[in-house]
Amino acid sequence: MTHVMLEGLTRRFDDVIAVNNLNLEVESGELIAFLGPSGCGKTTTLRMITGLLLPSEGDVQFDGKSMIAVPTEKRGAVMVFQKHLLFPTMDVARNVGFGLKMAGISKKEIDRRVSEMLELVHLPGFETRRPHELSGGQQQRIALARALIVRPNVLLLDEPLANLDANLRLEMRELIRTIQREMNITSIFVTHDQEEAVMLADRIALMFDGVLQQFDVPKAFYERPNSAEVAHFFRNDNFLAGTRHGDCVETGLGSLAILPDHVTQPDGKVVVTVRPEDIYLAPTSDENLIHVKVLAQVYMGTYKQVQLDVDGNKWLAHGPADLDIREGDTIPIQLPKTHIWLLPPVNGK
Amino acid sequence: MNRLKLMEKLRVPMMLFPAIAIIVVLFGGGMISGVGQSVGYFPVIGLNDFTLDYYRDVLTDDGFMTSLWLTFRLAFLSTLFASVLAVAFALVLRHAFRGSRLLTLIYQVPIPIPHLVVATGIVLLVSQSGLLSRGSVALGLTQTPRDFPVMVFDPAGVAIQLTFLWKEVPFIGVVVLAVLKSVGPQYEEIARTLGANSWQRFRYVLFPLMLPGILSTSIIVFAFVFANYEIPLLLGVRHPTTLPVMAFRNYQDPDLALRPQAMAISMILAVVAIILLVAYKRLAKYAVES
Repeated sequence: MTHVMLEGLTRRFDDVIAVNNLNLEVESGELIAFLGPSGCGKTTTLRMITGLLLPSEGDVQFDGKSMIAVPTEKRGAVMVFQKHLLFPTMDVARNVGFGLKMAGISKKEIDRRVSEMLELVHLPGFETRRPHELSGGQQQRIALARALIVRPNVLLLDEPLANLDANLRLEMRELIRTIQREMNITSIFVTHDQEEAVMLADRIALMFDGVLQQFDVPKAFYERPNSAEVAHFFRNDNFLAGTRHGDCVETGLGSLAILPDHVTQPDGKVVVTVRPEDIYLAPTSDENLIHVKVLAQVYMGTYKQVQLDVDGNKWLAHGPADLDIREGDTIPIQLPKTHIWLLPPVNGK
Repeated sequence: MNRLKLMEKLRVPMMLFPAIAIIVVLFGGGMISGVGQSVGYFPVIGLNDFTLDYYRDVLTDDGFMTSLWLTFRLAFLSTLFASVLAVAFALVLRHAFRGSRLLTLIYQVPIPIPHLVVATGIVLLVSQSGLLSRGSVALGLTQTPRDFPVMVFDPAGVAIQLTFLWKEVPFIGVVVLAVLKSVGPQYEEIARTLGANSWQRFRYVLFPLMLPGILSTSIIVFAFVFANYEIPLLLGVRHPTTLPVMAFRNYQDPDLALRPQAMAISMILAVVAIILLVAYKRLAKYAVES
């Protein structure tokens, strides 16, 4: 159980700033996801936490102690990589027991803890198998066991599920979550898959271009994104420009009522957003009723996805699978005020 | 139909025929002739009776065991030092740093240069009249060139070792370097996060990964040095000399009566080399598997 603090963490590669002034605090035993598109600085941050990469500026602290001068092998920050999982020259037992052997633990103790750890990852009796005899999922579980056996201060997982197929991914996700809770290890994992981050993490740190955009609980990214970019990353592209005056927003389609205590944007120019699943395609009252044109509709099995023209902006909305509308129709939709969220204006507009 | 099947069956042997013919005629012919001469069948000089006397003469000769030991020592030490240096160079050159590409290119220069050219260079460098000796006098480290240690035509075979090292270090190194580069830094990084210090990372992670490459190249180096005659002939003392030089001298002697002895030495050399290589291969297999 280690409290991790990143203070003004910055890393430059020549002229490129890979991570820019990152400030973040991970509570003891918490599971955090670094989320963002490729090249946003997630892995660079992870490497700075392990010490495999030194920051250009800033500090990494474990339990209030700076780690900058502490070499990787003494930090107790163990990394599980996406590829090159197991040492090919060793069998499973020697792979899992590697960290203990390096620490000079007796063979008897190593053997005992290796079989304990193999039980934990549901692979008992695999001691003598060679890495090439294992499936991708089994290799990943062994890699996880090898990291956990040393009881790390911080467990770092770099896209641990990226190479697995859908079923295995689900299984592995459960396993990581269960073991992490059981062992109460502060853990940070990197992913570009927002669903994975939402399902696994206690909190998500969303990064774009080396800059932390939002650090919050998963729900907040859906309900309270702090920019249009964040909303877009979480598959919400429903934006409508407006001006807030107290408890309503004036838009090109008329005035929309909002809950003043629910939103955080001050009076003035704002961007109105409602998630596709929160739009009522079959209105229940006259409140926030607007008329929009249906551009397209796709049957998705359990629901219908409808593309709408909202004052020149393309919006998506989810309705019941049996919703009877036609492309080209102008239909009334309701934007419930409990689900209206206001974003800061894009480029001041 | 049968003809087609026959053609199909003969296809592979037919394709291999040119290569097999060369091996059988040139190598096999030479071998048979060599074996024949070593057991007393050399009709040109009137020897027609089968005998093992030449083997007995060679094996009971005082100089034989000394030469065998010298040959083994040269091959063993050259292989050992070349492997150690090749690993050391590969460990440095696997990292990208300013000038690393140029350094890697320079490191590989010895590979295409013939051994004889290298031997000449080594003489010019380390003999008592060589560059190092003169530099040492100029720096006041030695009074005269004769004070410089004897490294060429010396019983220890220093110049011979240096020649082989200069040639074989890059040979082993190129393979080991390729292995390290293809493996990438991740295994080492994982080991590091798991608490392995630099020695442990080398001992438990990198070395086992390099081992198959080291073994497969060093076995070639050992076999090559063990059977090499031109370098010990050029840079070594006359007595004791290596077995290949001994065989070569007997072979070249105008007295054809020495030819069967030369062949006996060659056959013994071949058998010893095969035994050593098989033992080495077994050891290597055991080392890799464990």
